[in-house]
Amino acid sequence: MDAHAAKLLGAGLAIGLGVFGPGIGLGSMVGSALESIARQPELRGEIRTNMFIGIGIIEALALYAFVVSLILLFVVK
Amino acid sequence: MKLLKRIPLWAWPVIALAALAVLFVLPGGVKANFNVSNEFVLQPVIKLPKIGPVDLSITKGVIYLWVAVVVVCLFAALVNRGLKARPGRLQVALEGLYELARYGIAGSVMKEGSDVTWFPYIGGAFFFILVCNLCGLIPLPFGERHQLSFYAATGNLNVTLTLALCTFVFTQYAGIHKKGAVGYVKSWIIPSAPPVLKQFIFVMHIISEFFRLVSLSVRLFANMLAGHAILGVFFAMALVFQSYLIAVVLQAGSVTLYLFEIFIAAIQAFIFAILSAVYVSSAIEDEE
Repeated sequence: MDAHAAKLLGAGLAIGLGVFGPGIGLGSMVGSALESIARQPELRGEIRTNMFIGIGIIEALALYAFVVSLILLFVVK
Repeated sequence: MKLLKRIPLWAWPVIALAALAVLFVLPGGVKANFNVSNEFVLQPVIKLPKIGPVDLSITKGVIYLWVAVVVVCLFAALVNRGLKARPGRLQVALEGLYELARYGIAGSVMKEGSDVTWFPYIGGAFFFILVCNLCGLIPLPFGERHQLSFYAATGNLNVTLTLALCTFVFTQYAGIHKKGAVGYVKSWIIPSAPPVLKQFIFVMHIISEFFRLVSLSVRLFANMLAGHAILGVFFAMALVFQSYLIAVVLQAGSVTLYLFEIFIAAIQAFIFAILSAVYVSSAIEDEE
């Protein structure tokens, strides 16, 4: 395997595996938020705000993977 | 119209399939090379001299930033001048956004009192990022050869890092202003923790302060960059594949993605503002 192929493979693996965990996290997070909204609709606004905070924090993890794969693709020579 | 109604229901899928088959047979258009990463290279539109290491050339990123600033100021001035007791459409829309920023973001995260103090920054960041993200979806003729191209000013790490630095500096300022320099640093230590853990938590807190800076800036940057890269790929894939069938399918997909990007633009502005509010209020408020 030459260096270029390894680079491409690494970039693909980085984003693929890096999105895996945050995907599961986001699913469970939004799922339980919706569940609690269904249980207590009067707290909808507060739950939504907190959900977005959590989404923002979890999503950052996936985006680190994205940035790493971009670096592998375009910056690493 | 009557002729259309006479066609039985089962015939529609057949017609659609036949149309797709014809499209498949048709020879494709001109072959063109397309590289997504070229879309994000900033060529100077107006060349200006360098001052030390700083290149002052005006690129399309700078133009999009200016457009966003002008749009924000114009909207604010227009609505402010024509405030009415019975609001028109524009005023209702902007009042809704203002209420979201005032009560949905600042009011819901911060305590009474400090939300009034910090709303100007948080609301300003919210509106500026929102308009920046949305302006990034409008194609303007500032491409390499003056073709239409879009570029989000927030899809550039320099811009988002500056915005995140504002939040970082304001967070430290708010903490020091409220508790004094010594008291602010002392508030990072949790007195009830066991001795070794206490120092460990203290160090972790300092590291996390800097990682907030990274995550806040990289989140916005990567979201806008990824969105624009996907849009660019979808819009240009027809040129690469040279098939009308793929062009039709991909254009439908790209319109859907474009709508999704509008949603993402709003969500990212909301998340940036709300996380800024959380960080600033975490510096102000005492942990019980």
